[in-house]
Amino acid sequence: MLWAVLSIFVLAAVAPFIARVTKQATGWVLGLLPLAVFAYFAQQIGPVADGTPIRQVHAWVPSLDLTLSFYLDGLSLLFALLVTGIGTLIVVYAGGYMHGHDQYGRFFSQLLLFMGAMLGLVVADNIIAFFIFFELTSFASYLLIGFYHTDEDNRQAARKALVVTGGGGLALLAGLLLLQQVTGTMEFSEMLALGDTVRAHPYYTGIFVLVILGAFTKSAQFPFHFWLPAAMAGPTPVSAYLHSATMVKAGVFLLARLSPVLGGTDLWLYTLVSFGAFTMVLSAWLGLRYTDLKQILAYTTVMVLGLLTMLLGVGTSAAVKAAMVFILVHALYKGALFMMAGSVDHETGTRDVLELGGLRSEMPYTMAGGLLAALSMAGLPPLFGFIGKEVTYEAALGAGPIGIVVLVASVLANAALLAGALVVGIKPFFGGEGSFTRHPHEAPVSMWLGPGILATLGLAFGLVPSLVDQTILQAATGAVLQSPYEFYLALWHGINAPLIASLVTFAIGFALYVQWARVQPSGFMQALDGFFGRRPAAAFERGLFEMARLSQWTTRRVQDGTFRHYLLTVLSTFVVLVGSSLLLQTNIQWPTEVLGVRYYEAALAGIIVLAALVAVRTHERFIAILALSIGGYAIALLYLLFGAPDLAMTQFTIETLSIIILVIVLLNLPGISGQVSLASRVRDAVVATGVGAIITTIALTVLSTPLDRYVSDYLASRSYTEARGHNIVNVILVDFRALDTMGEIGVLAMAALGVYVLMRMMRQNRDTPEASIESDDKVLTEAEETA
Amino acid sequence: MEALLAIVSGILFACSFYLMMRRNLLRFVIGLIILGNAANLLIFTMGRLTRDHPPVIPYGAELPIEPYANPLPQALILTAIVISFGLLVFALVLVFRNYLTTNTLDADTLDAAEPDEPLDVHTETRRLPA
Amino acid sequence: MDLSEAYLTLWSDLDGVFSMALVSLVGLIVVVVDAFRNDHPSLPWMGAAALLASIGWELSVLGDAPGTALFGAVRTGGFAAFVNLIILVSGLLTIVLSVPYLDQLKRAYGEVYALILFATAGMIMLGTANTLISVFVGLETMSICLYIMTGLVREDEGSIESALKYFLLGAFSTGFFLYGIALLYGATGTMVLPEMAAGLEASGSTLLFWGGVALLLIGFMFKVSAVPFHMWTPDVYQGAPTTLTGYMSTASKASAFASLILVLFYALPTERWSLVLAFIAVVTMVLGNVLALSQPNVKRMLAYSSVAHAGYVLVGLTAASPAGYAGALYYLLVYAVMNIGAFGVMAFLEWDGKEGREQTLDSLAGIGFRRPALGASMGFFMFSLTGLPPLAGFTGKWFVFAPAVNAGLTWLVFIAVLMSAVSAYYYLRVVYVFWMLSPEDVPEAAEAQNAAFPVPASSIAVIVACAVTLLVLFVLSGNVMGFAEGLFEEAASMASMP
Repeated sequence: MLWAVLSIFVLAAVAPFIARVTKQATGWVLGLLPLAVFAYFAQQIGPVADGTPIRQVHAWVPSLDLTLSFYLDGLSLLFALLVTGIGTLIVVYAGGYMHGHDQYGRFFSQLLLFMGAMLGLVVADNIIAFFIFFELTSFASYLLIGFYHTDEDNRQAARKALVVTGGGGLALLAGLLLLQQVTGTMEFSEMLALGDTVRAHPYYTGIFVLVILGAFTKSAQFPFHFWLPAAMAGPTPVSAYLHSATMVKAGVFLLARLSPVLGGTDLWLYTLVSFGAFTMVLSAWLGLRYTDLKQILAYTTVMVLGLLTMLLGVGTSAAVKAAMVFILVHALYKGALFMMAGSVDHETGTRDVLELGGLRSEMPYTMAGGLLAALSMAGLPPLFGFIGKEVTYEAALGAGPIGIVVLVASVLANAALLAGALVVGIKPFFGGEGSFTRHPHEAPVSMWLGPGILATLGLAFGLVPSLVDQTILQAATGAVLQSPYEFYLALWHGINAPLIASLVTFAIGFALYVQWARVQPSGFMQALDGFFGRRPAAAFERGLFEMARLSQWTTRRVQDGTFRHYLLTVLSTFVVLVGSSLLLQTNIQWPTEVLGVRYYEAALAGIIVLAALVAVRTHERFIAILALSIGGYAIALLYLLFGAPDLAMTQFTIETLSIIILVIVLLNLPGISGQVSLASRVRDAVVATGVGAIITTIALTVLSTPLDRYVSDYLASRSYTEARGHNIVNVILVDFRALDTMGEIGVLAMAALGVYVLMRMMRQNRDTPEASIESDDKVLTEAEETA
Repeated sequence: MEALLAIVSGILFACSFYLMMRRNLLRFVIGLIILGNAANLLIFTMGRLTRDHPPVIPYGAELPIEPYANPLPQALILTAIVISFGLLVFALVLVFRNYLTTNTLDADTLDAAEPDEPLDVHTETRRLPA
Repeated sequence: MDLSEAYLTLWSDLDGVFSMALVSLVGLIVVVVDAFRNDHPSLPWMGAAALLASIGWELSVLGDAPGTALFGAVRTGGFAAFVNLIILVSGLLTIVLSVPYLDQLKRAYGEVYALILFATAGMIMLGTANTLISVFVGLETMSICLYIMTGLVREDEGSIESALKYFLLGAFSTGFFLYGIALLYGATGTMVLPEMAAGLEASGSTLLFWGGVALLLIGFMFKVSAVPFHMWTPDVYQGAPTTLTGYMSTASKASAFASLILVLFYALPTERWSLVLAFIAVVTMVLGNVLALSQPNVKRMLAYSSVAHAGYVLVGLTAASPAGYAGALYYLLVYAVMNIGAFGVMAFLEWDGKEGREQTLDSLAGIGFRRPALGASMGFFMFSLTGLPPLAGFTGKWFVFAPAVNAGLTWLVFIAVLMSAVSAYYYLRVVYVFWMLSPEDVPEAAEAQNAAFPVPASSIAVIVACAVTLLVLFVLSGNVMGFAEGLFEEAASMASMP
């Protein structure tokens, strides 16, 4: 199975090159591989139907339990067959439909990318692999919807689909990870047996909500239904494949896959049934509002997704059976109808039902396929769609107390579906000549073959249900129920409740069809569409916009670009973080003084503080510099008083140098005008004082613990004996810690290099006055000398 | 005395940070110089004070005479003074360069443009599409 | 210790610090040669050769057992080799990409390459530091080189302004850092990381210790640009020469994180910092992503996103398990590749659309069709930065998030995943504008110029190689991750041995 999935990805990568060689036969050539994969999966029907799922494991990241494992049971197999089977027909169809487009090769590449992702999704066993494929389908769908990217509407539609389904995918990932926490396994196949553990776990509700978010967004359930009709902006083969037959069912697949694990609770039942039923009825009726063939089909797709969700929510054997049957039914007719709609569009230049008509003579093959598929969609006997509807009603009747809701909703939705099917299947072909921009011809064989095959299958399965019921459908149902389940499908069950419900459906449906021209533009439909069709989409756009606005607002608040504010933030964080941790400590104490304070020392300290305060207060720069130098020299004196003559000398020298440089630079620079508000000055002062207070507090704490002079004494005692030096400080610098001193010189050299580079750039700048360069070059040499 | 100097250096720190948050970049530089002094003073104090006895071994002796000032912080501070000087020069050159390009020493002109364009729902490129 | 003995030790340690020695030596040579043959075109290639040789050397010692060199100043062995490889590869890619870029800017100074080499040496020291002193020395060497590189190139005010901001704020973080080191030394009586825990037990001065840890963390958070110490990031990334921005955002982050990992792993075995890191990770991810959302300038957007990525790495560190640290290392490797690539692309597109640092994303509408190789590679980088499979960005995120989940930090990973979703919005927007819009759609692009700068094939090859590497790293993620995890398990088992 690894090879089946990988080969499609490989083909996707090389498709553009193949397309360059094969030209208009591309569809036929590229279709061979999906066909082969289809054949491979078809061979597995026998073993899987016998009740033995196939599992294949390939190690990937063993340390994190990441494996590439595949699991093929009845459910996966049903989907795999749909993906590859319909995929083959779509590729062939696209060969005709997209012919002549300048991005022909790219289109196939993206289409096959999607096919590979979808196939991987349905056969993946590892939840991470599943998630990867899940997101990959969203991404491929984004590319394909936005394929005609020159139109803004298409881009918007693509974005909508990506954000909704991709975002849902992330919720799903979170849900799956929680599921992994609860079950301790990453494999679906192992989780399936652990349903009771999960349902009893406190995380259950969380997991359920997250997984449901993933499934509902992907399968376009209300209130996320708006992206799917918009996605019809993509090329028609894409709509036929992704947005009806396969991708949108990924959400349903997920629900079916996890129903043994998460299903069976009241939460599951009521959530799925209510959302599914509402979506179903709503979208079936919304479909009648539109006249664009693809829009009608899109809404009926949402309707079927709602139906499937509802049936899986009911969860009885009959309901699951109905869901599996309906998946197949829907894939067959919807694929065919979309291709039909594409052919009509391709040949006439319009998809508007009001403009179409009378194509039966020009496009007989297309009509045959389309009509047959539409009848199946309408649920008329003897087509497969009729069986699908019957089993749905049967499931509704056996669903217990909630059954009446399910039944009424299904009848209402199916009636609208029937009307929609007839609009799509009959209007374009019968009646008077439509108003076309070009003269219609029959579509090429590649374009009517696919719909033809699918529609014929819809008829064949209806007449001879035993082709599928005992094998693949039964296996799929058994996989969802996690126990073997036998059933037979038949067109005629005698006169019973489902048949009566069907007859009611037919009556309402035909009435709707006859009155369609009046229903479609009615005020009720307009209101319905405005409220449920357009408003969610508008709300979505609004949400994105507000998100961007929030971001911009935050940026302006926290990142105004002003250096001083950056500094203020850093310092405030320091005060808050360190200050709060200091406040939590209670053992801060005043240090025990060994030395008293002599009056001249106190005076010196006073001078230092005073000088600093003057430097803060004054706006006269020369006074500030004067204060600065007095303070610096006072510190040097302090060093001298406390046994550090070397320090005092260095401090004197450097202080003098700094002052000189500062004065030189100051001569060249102007002052600035403008005042900072008092409030912000007070704020800065408070923060600065806080920093000072914290530093003092920590210093006092350090001083209250005894100092271990071991290292100092060790160095002092070795100073003469080992290094023959009398001045211990010097010996430490050039001997004991010589490497550090070298590092220091390195830092200084780096600073010098920086000064040099900056100066060099200035020299290139012609406007620079010569004098200032020289003064700074002097700085450079001085810096090096000091090193 | 140590406690007094700890408080003095705390005040110096406060002054220097306050100065650094001023609009005039030269006051910033002055703050930077004070900061260096404050840090050095703090390290010096942390190593404890000893009056009048530099860590020098008298000629003829092999060991210094107790008590002597702690040599380790002194070595550290020597390094720190020199490095902070190097950084000061670098900072000055940067400020000067900045002055050459902007013709001002106002720190508030150092605000590299954050987007100020308002968003707009109706213009696609303003609206931040995906 | 006798002097000759010291030389012998130095000599025998040479293979432990081969890369650092070679890179700084060649850096010196470049400076000297540059003094005589100013800005000779062979200078960058000397640097590249040194880096390449070092890469070869590090590959050969990848399997070595952990140890120390230079009197216990730096660590050697597998971990060091892995970190050094990230740094060296980033340096090499940067040099190769910078040559045509700086030529085009008319700023092909020889010193630039010397600075890159010195910065690389500093980063190696920082990333493999075993004592707080070497952490500091490495950090400073690296930072000073980066300050200079930031202000290096352009005549406009933005560049020098960003250098000023970077330098001044950087000086602060250094101050905090030094102060933290002093407090830690006071509390434990040692500078050697693995001895600190025992030292703390002996002295019992917890107040000093945790005060020191807080200050040290502030210093690190500044270097990895975690909120609220990130403010310099956008300005600096936007102002610096673009290829060098790529270098800054990757190699310096990698080495600072590597150093932080060493500190956390060896010196702070208690769990107390985990919650603090988790908190920083949350604000970093949230703010980084939210601010990136509305950035019209790609470089600024990438800057904010690099803030967000620092948050993701912090998530891995918060897990405080070998898997978490290893995941962080893997993430840093992947991040280096994708971010250097992304900045490389932006560097060469600087002469398309709106020029220079004013360049907005919109002015590049439809550029993918004009420069398909760069555009397609950018797609790879953006998808990988988002964390989408099948690119290494996905496994990277997985490897940092999964250990956090295992450590019981599910809430943190929820936020991280949510933020990744937000990030998809602005990353994919780049792809969207590059490939889906056409210049006619955007007024800004219509008025922008198309003074296409002919990008040399070698640079395109490097960028495409980065993109392909992301695929390769994805496929090989199991092996790389297994190796990285082995490093910590080995070290942990050695630490527990008496």
